[in-house]
Parts: sequence; C-alpha cells; structure tokens
Amino acid sequence: MAAAGDLIARCQAGDVEAFEALYRQHAARLYTLACRMAGSPEDGEDLLQEIFLQAHRKLGSFKGDSAIGTWLYRLALNHCLDYVRSRQAKMNRLTETLDADTSFEPTARRDTPIARLDLERAIERLPEGCREAFVLHDVEGFDHKEVGKLLGIAEGTSKSQVFKARMKLRSFLRGST
Amino acid sequence: MSGVNRTVNAMHPNETAINDFVDGTSDALERTSVEQHLATCVACRQLVDDLREIKRATGALESREPPPRVWGRIERAITLERDADVARRLRADGASASLAGAGTTQEPAEAGRLQPSASDNVKKGPYPFSSESSWRKRGTTLSWLAAAAAIVLATLVGLRFMPGRHEAGTPSTVAQTGSVRDAAQAIESELRLAEAHYEKAIKGLEQIANTDQGALDPRTAATLQKNLAVIDQAISESRAAVRSQPTSEPAQQSLVENFKTKIGLLQDTVALINEMRKGNEAGAARIVSGLKQKGN
Repeated sequence: MAAAGDLIARCQAGDVEAFEALYRQHAARLYTLACRMAGSPEDGEDLLQEIFLQAHRKLGSFKGDSAIGTWLYRLALNHCLDYVRSRQAKMNRLTETLDADTSFEPTARRDTPIARLDLERAIERLPEGCREAFVLHDVEGFDHKEVGKLLGIAEGTSKSQVFKARMKLRSFLRGST
Repeated sequence: MSGVNRTVNAMHPNETAINDFVDGTSDALERTSVEQHLATCVACRQLVDDLREIKRATGALESREPPPRVWGRIERAITLERDADVARRLRADGASASLAGAGTTQEPAEAGRLQPSASDNVKKGPYPFSSESSWRKRGTTLSWLAAAAAIVLATLVGLRFMPGRHEAGTPSTVAQTGSVRDAAQAIESELRLAEAHYEKAIKGLEQIANTDQGALDPRTAATLQKNLAVIDQAISESRAAVRSQPTSEPAQQSLVENFKTKIGLLQDTVALINEMRKGNEAGAARIVSGLKQKGN
C-alpha cells in the first residue's frame, strides 16, 4: 500500500519512469477492456493511449480516495463509453432485431471446450450495442441495472442485448468448429 | 400466477427465462418450470448447455498485453505535451519581455495554431509536474521541440477527420445550400485541410527521424525506408483515387488510413531511435518486434 502511494506520489511529481511502472501494472486490464468494448485491437490501442494520456493529465487531482486501479478503471470505462456513444451516434444502429441465427433450433452439439482465441474473435464480431452490453455484463461483471445506467438503456434492453450477444456467439462458435 | 404461463411460450421458455436460468437468477418457480421443459426438449437443453459453456469460457478469459509500441507512443506524447506547455510558458514570458524590448525567444509558431480540438486536449495551465527552474533551463532547445510537439499532438489527440461524416447531414446540408456540388466541395475542402495537417505531421516526424537515423543499424534503417516507400506508394494511389472521385468514402478512408500508417511508422522510428540512444536494448527490441508484426 505504501509502495503504491509512493509510486503515485512520484507520478504526481512528474517522474515518467514511475508513470511507466503504473502503466505496466494496469495496461493489460485496461487494454483488454478497451479492445472488447471497441471491438478491435487497433481501436483498443488508440483508446489505451488516450486513457493513459488522460490519466497523466488528471493524476494531479487523484486524492487516493479509492485504489489507483479503481480510479484508472473508472477513467478507462468512461473513455470507452464515450467512444462507444460517439460511434453509435454516428452509426445509429444501437438496436438490431433478433435475426435468424439467434433462434434456437436443434443443432450439432459442441463437445469441445471453447478456445479462448475463438471466443475473443467472436466477441469482436458481435454487433455494436449487444457487444458492449455483453462485455459489461458477462466479462466485467456489472448487473443489468448497472449496464443499463452505463449505456443509457433500460434494464430490460440490457438483458435482451446480452441474450442476443450470447446467441450470436453461439452461432459464431458453432461455425468455427 | 403460474410460472409456466409467465416464462414459457407455446413451445419453449422465452429468452428472459433462458437467460435468467443460465445466470442462476430465476426464482424457484421459474427454475422448476424451465427444468421441467429441459427434461423433454433436446433443443433447449442444448441451448442451455451452450450458453453455460459460453458463460464459463467468458469468465475464464484472460487479459491481453498491449503491443510494446503503445507505451512508446504514450511516453512521446507526454514529453511533447510537457514541452509544448513549457514552450507556451516561454512564449508568454517572451511576450512580456518583448513589451520591454527584450523578446528574443523564437516563436514556436505551430504551438499557437493547433486545431481547436487539439488545443482543447492540451493542458492550458502551468504544467503541474515541472518545476519553474527546470523549464527555464531547458528553454533554449524548446523552439523546435514545441513545433514538433504541436504537429504531433495534432495527430495524436486532435485530428479527427472522419471521412463520410457529412453523409448523415448531407440531405439537410444539400437542402440548406440547395446544391450537391456545394456539399462535395465542402468535403473536398475538409479533406484537403486534413491532408495538409497530416502532411505537416509527417514532415515534422520525418525531420526528427532523418536527423537521427544514424543511430539505427543499417539493416533496420533500410527496412524502415522500404516500408516507408511502400506506404508512400499507397498514399500516391489513394490520393489519385480521391482526386478522381472526391466524394468517394472508401477513397477518402484509404487516404486517411495510409497517412495514419505512415505517421505510426515514423512514430515507431523516432521511438526506436530514442531507445537506441538510451541504450535500452529491451525497449528497442520490443519496438522492432512491433515493426515486424506490422510488416507481416
């Protein structure tokens, strides 16, 4: 705890090496969040860069009321949500209707465990709207009420989007075997 | 109220019932009714098994490591941002001094001419992490750094040219101006503006990279030059495409993407030079590895 406090103090004093250490500690988690929310590693990279630049600018106001990891995570999540909102506003396709591949017809059973890489790729392919709800709920662990607040949608819409995402993933992963 | 009526349609449980069942958030009545249905419905049983497997696999996903080049970019941006801020202070000081007839500091022209979006992202107040004495000492080398900072910052945080962004507004724009040609000219003019900024950023980075390229071993330098030549060719082709079809979104997108690629490669080159100068072999190796991945 004292070591973390010391690191923050050094960052706040302008020590770039200390800031790099902070980056090394938290970058993987935030990069993963950014990639999954944005739907591509390239956009995830850009987001991570912007998140840490913003963190660097704002670190002076960090008072230690929460853990630095929590503070960074909130900052990153807000940044990702801003990105998602601006893109959604542009694309104007938050809601999509359930289509044929989300119906549950009897299909060949998948007997092998899902490969991590297949799942990561499938998540990237999810349509905007349902991907963000799925990531926030199933990966990041927010409940539907929280997801609804974060994304500015109703709780029921969050449930519906997560279901849609799961059905899409099922369809994608069935195709990848 | 019957759980079956509430959660099950004519044939199968509805999506909410299935979702809640998979998440383990159904109440007892719903859970029983879904379980009873699953006992006789192969399709729903398979669905539930698949969704549970997806949930399990999702829960087991691990974090991904960002590519090494990301830290290099952040570090450069921090340095440039700090230097731009210091230069701004110096300029303010210079302005005060010039009132007294002693303004000799070279004007970091570009720092004051950032696009509004870029300057909004650059800290305006005194840099909190830098002491007064340290920035004064460094002042003499800061004019060109400030120019580079302004240029690169515009690329890193400011330039947000979005090809096709007129698309959504096109009907109203056209209605307002009464002319499709006006809209096309507006897009073309905006693209030209973005192009000029990208070219300026590229020129600044090229200047830094060319000045210090001796720090690189000849093979790496040759590879970088080869990659830059490929990107230059792509830029020429996409530029020609834009010239022949100014309103084509794919052509605009392609040109902007090629500019971004070139800037990325130049940024990596500058980062590599910095690491070599610092004698940080591990850092240099990380960047070279990133360059190789990009080249593949």
